[in-house]
Amino acid sequence: MRIAVGVDVGSTQSKAVLMGDDGQGIKILSRALVDTGANVTRAAQSAFDQCCRNAGIPPQDVGFIVGTGYGRYKITFGNAQMTEISCHARGAHFLCPGTRTVIDMGGQDSKAISVGPSGEVLDFVMNDKCAAGTGRFLANAAEVMGISLDEIGPLSLRASHPVKIATVCTVFVESDILSYLAQGKRAEDIMGGVHLAIAKRTLSLARRLTIEPEITMTGGVARNTGMVQALETVLGQKLHVSPDAHFMGAVGAGLFALEKLGESFESSVWREHASSCRN
Amino acid sequence: MTEIHTNDYRGTIHQRQKDLMLDWYHRLDQASDGGDPPTVSMMISGNCVELLEGFGASPIYPEVNALQLAIRHQSLEPILAAEDLGYAADNCAYVKADIGCMLKGITPTGERIPKPTLVLCNFVGCNTYVKWFEHVAELTGAPLYVLDVPFLRGEEPTEADVAYVVRQLKEVVQLLEKLTGRKFDCERFRQAVSCSSEVEQLWSEIKHFSQCTPSPFDAYFDAITLMGPLYVYRARQEGVEFFRAALEELKQKAIARTGIYDEERFRLVMEGPPPYPYFRTFRDMFAKWKACAVASTYSTVGGLWEFGFRHDPDRPFESIAMHMLAQNVTNRNYLQRYEQIRRYVEEWKADAIIIHFVKSCRLFSAGQGDMRDYFTKQLGIPTLYIESDLEDPRYFAEAQTKNRIDAFFESLEHAKSASRQGRECARTA
Repeated sequence: MRIAVGVDVGSTQSKAVLMGDDGQGIKILSRALVDTGANVTRAAQSAFDQCCRNAGIPPQDVGFIVGTGYGRYKITFGNAQMTEISCHARGAHFLCPGTRTVIDMGGQDSKAISVGPSGEVLDFVMNDKCAAGTGRFLANAAEVMGISLDEIGPLSLRASHPVKIATVCTVFVESDILSYLAQGKRAEDIMGGVHLAIAKRTLSLARRLTIEPEITMTGGVARNTGMVQALETVLGQKLHVSPDAHFMGAVGAGLFALEKLGESFESSVWREHASSCRN
Repeated sequence: MTEIHTNDYRGTIHQRQKDLMLDWYHRLDQASDGGDPPTVSMMISGNCVELLEGFGASPIYPEVNALQLAIRHQSLEPILAAEDLGYAADNCAYVKADIGCMLKGITPTGERIPKPTLVLCNFVGCNTYVKWFEHVAELTGAPLYVLDVPFLRGEEPTEADVAYVVRQLKEVVQLLEKLTGRKFDCERFRQAVSCSSEVEQLWSEIKHFSQCTPSPFDAYFDAITLMGPLYVYRARQEGVEFFRAALEELKQKAIARTGIYDEERFRLVMEGPPPYPYFRTFRDMFAKWKACAVASTYSTVGGLWEFGFRHDPDRPFESIAMHMLAQNVTNRNYLQRYEQIRRYVEEWKADAIIIHFVKSCRLFSAGQGDMRDYFTKQLGIPTLYIESDLEDPRYFAEAQTKNRIDAFFESLEHAKSASRQGRECARTA
């Protein structure tokens, strides 16, 4: 069996996925998730080691490792790198084959990706240097409200009259929320408003592409049920949300790594990347 | 990271360009001692450097000073000085860098920049520029003339537009006669227009070399090297000699099929100015993918000559007016810019377009989101949109910019690979 690992070093968390191909099909054999923290290289190594341990496979049996995410060039043990844009598209296509649009919401960026029939990137748009519309915005809103990040999604689902949040600025949202709290608005209505504000921001980002169904949501924020529903409301259609949505970048990286092992990926650039990065 | 072998354009021309620009700064330094030669502060967009030759005057280009500082990683200090004075954070960074330099006495080479004989605001399409030159006049105490050049509303300027600009150019001549105490030398002026016409022909031929595969030079990053002499020396014999040498050098590269990489993998059209504070870093992001710019709109800010326009020594004032009105990219309308880019893609055989949005420049960047939609959705040309600034280093996010560029080329690479495989399958079948 060919064994490969994808490691996605994000701004907030690092993910690793170990994948195997026995000739009958590709399977995800294990996953690992660690906080990235200040030492990106260590976080990547830790996610990789943990992933191998979880699968009971010695690291030396891993045939190829692809790194992705902002920290991909800090992965000292990897064989090659791909951007998370290509990896999310590939991962989403693997887990939800009808995917034509990916909405990826991570800790510090959000993107919309148009995906071709074989999982290739046709086009993409991302937020700019500003963190508006990202997981960081939700984390700030949760902090101001004194609620844990895990609670805000379910809480927002109980909103009956979601408030209008005027800003999607991660800094200024605090004053908006404080003003609604002072007016005595219910926490669920405030969080409902926060989620809708982000969903609308994401919609305007995605509209810069042609939004084709089926749409798959990926990234850490996909675990937030309130965000998924808010996005479905503004998009007017259901989203695919895989249980591995959070790991999608690592899954895509693992698939590219397996391809490399099978030498089916013919890109000369790929060969160059691979040869330059092998230890 | 892979070591990419680039054949950067570092011929004799590169050194000659440096020498010419240093000579120019040296002349400006000399002018600081007693006003000889006379100097005129002017904008790059549609500049009328030919007119200055009639007085033996030298241009001062605040934009060139600003970009020279940025490329040397020295732009932040003057920008902060201007902000301390009250300039807004989102104001044009060229303006802030220039004003900050005046406040702090900073110059690109360490030599002095003189008080100009005349501050000539020759481009009014950008309101910020008008205010900029008003401030330059106030800070230096030099007289100001605002030359009102109407925006191009249709395909061509009207006769009234041309007459309106010619009338003002003649007013500038009268004003400079008064300010310099020199008589306008008509013959020297005509020769200057003739030199410009020859340089424009040479420059146009050089730009057409990048239609070759591989392109012998990068028509964005390398073109910038040639743009300094184009604006400062276009109307002088030194300019003619410089561009003759450049043409010959590049012709040899084209004949020998020497590109800027060992293998030219992607051909690009670039829209928008580069992020000068990170010029090398930005270039390397494309070099990694062996991507070569074969055409760029930025290289037509000072004049658009590759489609046939030339200054005319038989109609010197009228042709200068035509240049200012219709033959520089910033005074043209947006649909004309679309058409310019579309022709580049088609005739220069480009794979994709890169739009670099400049956060502090509304003039160049407004509407570029729609431009991206037009090229991707209506013409099906892969187009990448990235944002930073041409002068302010604080707007450049290296990791994010690199990420977008890498992802864009990954998708282009995939598309090329799929198309190659499709052709192979078709051959097999």
